[in-house]
Formats: sequence, structure tokens, C-alpha cells
Amino acid sequence: MQKYLSRHNFYTLLDTLISGGIRVVAPRMTAGIPLYGPLGESVEMVLDQLPRRSAKEAFFPVCEDIMSYEKEGQQVRLTDVEPASFPETVLVGVRPCDAAAIPVLDGVFSWDYKDEFFLERRRKTTVIGLACTSADDACFCTAVGLSPADTRGSDLFLTPLADGGYLCDVCSDKGEALVADTINLFSEPGSSTPLPLAAPSVPAFDLKKVKGWLDGHFEDPLWDGTALRCVGCGACAFVCPACHCFDIVDEGTEKSGKRRKSWDACGFWKFTHHASGHNPRDKQPKRYRNRIMHKFKYYDDKFGQTLCTGCGRCVRICPVGIDIAAIVTEINGMAIECTPAGGETRS
Amino acid sequence: MINTIDISHYGTVAESIRIEAARILGEGLVTAVVAYTAGRRAGSVQPAIITSAAEAERLTFTAASVNNLAVYLTKAKKDIPRSGRIGIVVKGCDLKALVGLMGESQLQREQLYLIGIPCAGVLASTVRPAEPLTAGNLAPKCRECDAQLPEGCDYVPEIDLPLPTPLESTYAAEIARLEGLTPAERWAYWKEQFAKCIKCYACRQVCPFCFCEQCLCDRNKPQMVDTTPRPAGNTAWHIVRAMHLAGRCAGCAECERVCPMDIPLNLLNRKMAKELKELFDYEAGFAVNEKGPLTMFMEKDDQSFIK
Amino acid sequence: MHPEKTISSDFEPKVIAFVCTWCTYAGADLAGTSRMQYPSNVRVLKFPCTGRIDPVFILKAFQQGADGVLVSGCHPGDCHYIAGNFHARRRFAAFRKLLEFVGVDLQRLQFSWVSAAEGGKWVEVVTELTEKVRAMGPMMEFKELALEEQWSGAMISPELQDAYRQI
Repeated sequence: MQKYLSRHNFYTLLDTLISGGIRVVAPRMTAGIPLYGPLGESVEMVLDQLPRRSAKEAFFPVCEDIMSYEKEGQQVRLTDVEPASFPETVLVGVRPCDAAAIPVLDGVFSWDYKDEFFLERRRKTTVIGLACTSADDACFCTAVGLSPADTRGSDLFLTPLADGGYLCDVCSDKGEALVADTINLFSEPGSSTPLPLAAPSVPAFDLKKVKGWLDGHFEDPLWDGTALRCVGCGACAFVCPACHCFDIVDEGTEKSGKRRKSWDACGFWKFTHHASGHNPRDKQPKRYRNRIMHKFKYYDDKFGQTLCTGCGRCVRICPVGIDIAAIVTEINGMAIECTPAGGETRS
Repeated sequence: MINTIDISHYGTVAESIRIEAARILGEGLVTAVVAYTAGRRAGSVQPAIITSAAEAERLTFTAASVNNLAVYLTKAKKDIPRSGRIGIVVKGCDLKALVGLMGESQLQREQLYLIGIPCAGVLASTVRPAEPLTAGNLAPKCRECDAQLPEGCDYVPEIDLPLPTPLESTYAAEIARLEGLTPAERWAYWKEQFAKCIKCYACRQVCPFCFCEQCLCDRNKPQMVDTTPRPAGNTAWHIVRAMHLAGRCAGCAECERVCPMDIPLNLLNRKMAKELKELFDYEAGFAVNEKGPLTMFMEKDDQSFIK
Repeated sequence: MHPEKTISSDFEPKVIAFVCTWCTYAGADLAGTSRMQYPSNVRVLKFPCTGRIDPVFILKAFQQGADGVLVSGCHPGDCHYIAGNFHARRRFAAFRKLLEFVGVDLQRLQFSWVSAAEGGKWVEVVTELTEKVRAMGPMMEFKELALEEQWSGAMISPELQDAYRQI
């Protein structure tokens, strides 16, 4: 189902939701940079830049409490955080690379152990995606099988039109319900044409072949060659829409405190550091290898999906210019070189 | 463009680096050279560690050669092979960091072969590495640079251009602005900035002076600083970081450049540098000092703040 | 959401004193054995030397709810370890500038030299700091900060509202 939503009505829609007590989360300027955050009113929204952090934080917060403890005498009182208290949310202005990561994350948070913190936020959030009309040379969504107009992960999907309004695709029941509630703001699609979509320049990867190459190259000179310069920060993982590792720590005093869950990153030396002092990933290249392996092999092995949506954030912010698109392009080249001969590994 | 900065000599500089790196590797003078190569994106540059003369032809130097390569010579970077003498490309600010590391007995001058850059400035950010260098996108540290020509290097390419004259310091102006506010207003400013922090520790990992085997903030016995990226722990982390760098920071401003959340971290470092200059007449420079301002003392030091 | 900063009449400030064992601790002890009165708001933490007092301890004290902090040790030249207090003097001269720059009111942070013979000076220093902090009211900055969350992890729970009421 397609509808037309004028620019004015788009903002009216958001203000209506906000005044109705719904939390509307959208990109907005935060101390000088665009970040997702709850809007006070629709005009705060900034749609012309990709937020520095991805939309994952709407479901998987930077840091959240999962429990609190209080000690009185010999008594210890534990209080769980109730996911039921999470607010109803509409997440707006989500680029396809961010939106597509959400269903990818569903896999890991609902496999085996059901993470109620993630899943409850997921249930209570309606995602309004936005097609991309500009890309820089760090963008590579098209290389990992997505597109600037991919509706994966969106409940409603807006495509900017030449008249300033939007073509609104209704992609799910949640989206349909939202439109039904505010139907007077929508009309039938008119004659205005969609703006040209962004065109990322990185050639498409053959993801199956890339995975095939990774299957056989846990040990390879590539890792040392590309990752020796990695300085071991967590910036790439933290800005990534799909990275989902977290740490759990207790913070407080002996009398009271909280158990908290916060983002973690495989680039940190501490990530795999054992209590014994042993560290199986004892060198930075091994940690970087894990980043590539997890995104293009391990996640695929388990969930049949690639854990990278080509948003390019890590490419833009890496302190030492490590470029995941360049590395996978190189792997892709090696994979194509060696597979026609019957899946043999590179000599 | 009106405010374009003349970096036309960087081509010559890059060529000189290639020739010199090939020579010192070829003659066996050094076992490795830490320098810059081009990346995939137009204009992008990344650090590289090369070990053979044949690789030297990949080396480059442009306005996107922002990294302080000194970080690769610290003991925090255990994975970098270190045997024999190592060649390294340094801008003036990078050299100050190396000099600081020598003062702290982390490096010895004779282990290094320094290729100095006559530097007219680099970009503030590498998000758009192909942009031409202008007064607008010039790194703020370069505006007030007093070390365009590194001293005491083994090799500095000759250029026949005058280097640009310094511009007005944006740090000094911003520090003065903040100093003019009330404590509550300053607290509000930093609270907003630190709230953005996600504890990715990029600021720590790129810093040549953050070479501790285990950072205080990675320890939990005792847990002096909360590890979670909440405003409280973030604020504590940035105060601790600034204090640990006071009197050591050489001003390369890598912490600020790499911050994915654009926290003006170098403001804290510059403020501390300013205070240490006023209190103890100390400034980071090209001379190796065995003692920094906070590892030495004088009996006549100011104690007007002590009852 | 933040309560008004009102100074209730029953506000009893928490003052943490980091002292060296050789001079100031002995000075405080002398004050005690001489039956001098000083505010019971002061919690004394004993260190071998002011040179051992890491600035992060001061930060931690404020974070854990201190309204004022005192750091006190031997007079210059009297350090049991020859020069610990000289090093501390430089370090704290720098640290207080940093705290001031991030917006901590330096009225809440006091440094002093109190010798083992100066029981009277100890009383004077801690009384003055306690009364100054009492007049200033509670140190809200770090207490409020401790309750702040990133928006994504924030919840308006009754528990949190209680916590706000308490500070």
C-alpha cells in the first residue's frame, strides 16, 4: 500500500504522536553532532545527515540497568527492571542501512535466550524508514545486497519526492495501524516524482564467495597486513548498526548498586581476556579478524545473514583509516579468483 | 578558494619520503619504516609499517596524513615488530610526542631514524579526506603551530616555500570563553559534551602517552572509575584522562580528531598546558627532559592555594 | 524533574579529609587528645603521605557524595619521605585548575599543611571548611550526574524519582 504524506503533514504527524504521549525518536543535533534521540517537537529533527550512532540504540541502549540491589543488615533486596515499563516509541528518519540491521539483530536477541530488554523495545517500536538520496564514498549498502530504498526493517518507508513531500510505503501491520490512526494526514499518491536515489560507488560483493573464502582462511597474511595498524579502540563496533556485543557489570557500593548492561567491542584487548590471564586473541590482528569473520562468516553460519549493512560509519570514523569496504573488496577479489577452480583456497 | 592553504610542496615531500625510505631500508639502516599510504577512498591516507625498500613506492604524504605515528612505537602496541632501528615519518607535533616518550624512557633516540616533515598543516577530520585544505577545515592545532619544521631529525626534505604564518588560536579563544563562565555554566557545558561519550576509548588508544600496560579505567580492583558509558563514568574518565596527560601531552590533538562523538578533548589538554606554563613555566618542545612538570618540584613553588 | 536547590536547615555536610599519617593525622589526634571540639562532619582517611593521594580519590569522594574535600599533610620541608608533599603540591595545583575548568566550585576543595603539633590549626581548618560547605549547601553536581542516563537506557521509574527526592 502506498500513500502520499506532505512535508507539513509529516511534521504534524510527529507532533500529534508526541502530544499523544508517544516517544518519538529521530536524528537531532546533540552537542554539535547528529544523534538519535527523543524529540520535544518535530522541528528538532535533522534528516540531511546520517546520525553518528546507529538506530540500534533505540533497542539496544548504550547502557541500561537490568537489576538493582540493596543490602540492609543481612537482607539483600534485588529489584529487576521491568521491560513492561519501556515506552511506546516511533523511530523516525531511519536510513535503510540502519533499519535493515534491526531484523538482523532480531536473530541474535531471540535465539536460544530471549532477550526481553531488546524484544520488548522491538515490540513497542514502530520504525519509519527514509530512502537515501545522497551517499559518500564510505557508503556501501549496495555492495552488501541492500539499496538506498530497501524497506527491510521499516514499518513505514518514506521516499522523498520532488515537491518536498514523501511517498509512504506501508510495510507491516504496525505501519498500517499507525497510518490508520492518523489517516487524515495521508492522501493518495499524486504526480510528484521521487528524488533520485543515492548511488554508493563500491562494487557489489559476492557474499557467498566472501564467506567461502573466510571459511578457509582463519589464518592468512591478510589479517596481519591490514590490521597491524589497528589501535584497538571500540569506535567501529560502537557506531555500527549491527554490532551487538555487550558487557555486564555491577556498579555501586557494598550497600546498594546496579547491574548494568553496556556496549562492548571485540577490538578491546580485554574483550577475550580470561581471569587466568590467558588471552586467546592476544594480538590486535586476531581481534580485527574476528570483526570481519563475525560479520561475514559466523553470523551467516548461524543466522544466514550478513552482519553488515554498509552504512560506512566505521570507515568514516576509524582513527587509523581501516576501511572494511576495501578489505572485503580484497577478499571478494581473492574469493572470485580461487573459486572457479572448484572452491580451492588461494595458493 | 580564498582561504586555501598552500600545500603544493607535499608532492615533493612525498617523493622525498619514498626515496629516503627506500634508501634506509635498502641499506639496512632500519628494519622498518612507519609512514603513510593511500587508502581506498579518494584522498584517504592511512598509517603503514613497511619493511622492504620495494614497498616504499606506496608511501605518500598529503593533508590527510593526520595520524601521529608515534603511537606505533609505544609499548602499548606490542604487535608491531621491533628489532633494530625504526624509521618514522614525523610532523613537528608528532616529534614533540616522541621527545616526550624519550623523556619518559620509553624510546631511545638512537633506535629511531626520524624523517621530518616541513608541515603546512593537516585536515581536522578525515571524514572527507579529499577536501582541499583551507583555513576552515585545517586542524585547530595547526592554526597555532610553532613546530612546522621539526628539529633534530635525521632527514628533512628540502622545500623552497615559506611555510604559512600561524592563524589565531581557536583553542585559546574557547578556553577564555569557558573561563569567563560560572562554574555551573562550565559544568553544564562539559556535562553535555561528556554525555555523548560512548567509552570507545579511541582517545586513549591513539594517544602516544597512554601506554600503560593496564589503564586505571580498565581495572576493577579497585574500580576507581565506572566503566559504563553513562554521564557519571564518562565525566570521571575524561577528568582522569586529562589529569594523566597534564604535563605530558605534546599537543598532537589526536584524541580530539578521532573522537567519533566530537567531544572537544584537546580543550582540556590545552587548558592544562596553559596552566602548567603559568604555574611552572613548562611547555612541550623538542628538547628531551628527564623530568616533566609534575614529576619534579621546586621549593619555591606556589602554594597560595594551601592553608 | 530536578528539585530546587534549597538549603534545608538540617543539612549536615559530608566532608572527606585525606591526610598524611605523619603530620596531619597526628595533628588531628592531638586535637582529639587535647579535647578540642571540631565538627563531626569530617571523615578522616589516612595515607602514608600526601604524595600517595591520587587526584582520582578526590574525584571519587565527590562522586560518592562528599560535599567538601580536604587534603592535608606535612609542611614543606617536613615530609617523612623528604619530598612527597612537594610533588603533591604541584599535582594538586594542576588538578584544582582542571576541576575548576570542568565546573567544580573550588570552594569545596581545601588543601592545608597541618603538622603533628598543630591540633589547633586542624580544628580551625576543618571547622572553616565545614561551615563554608554548610553555607553553600549540598554538592549537587556529582549526585545529579550519578542519576543521569543515556536517553536510550533511561527510565522514569518510581525508584529514580525517589532517588531524586533524596538528594
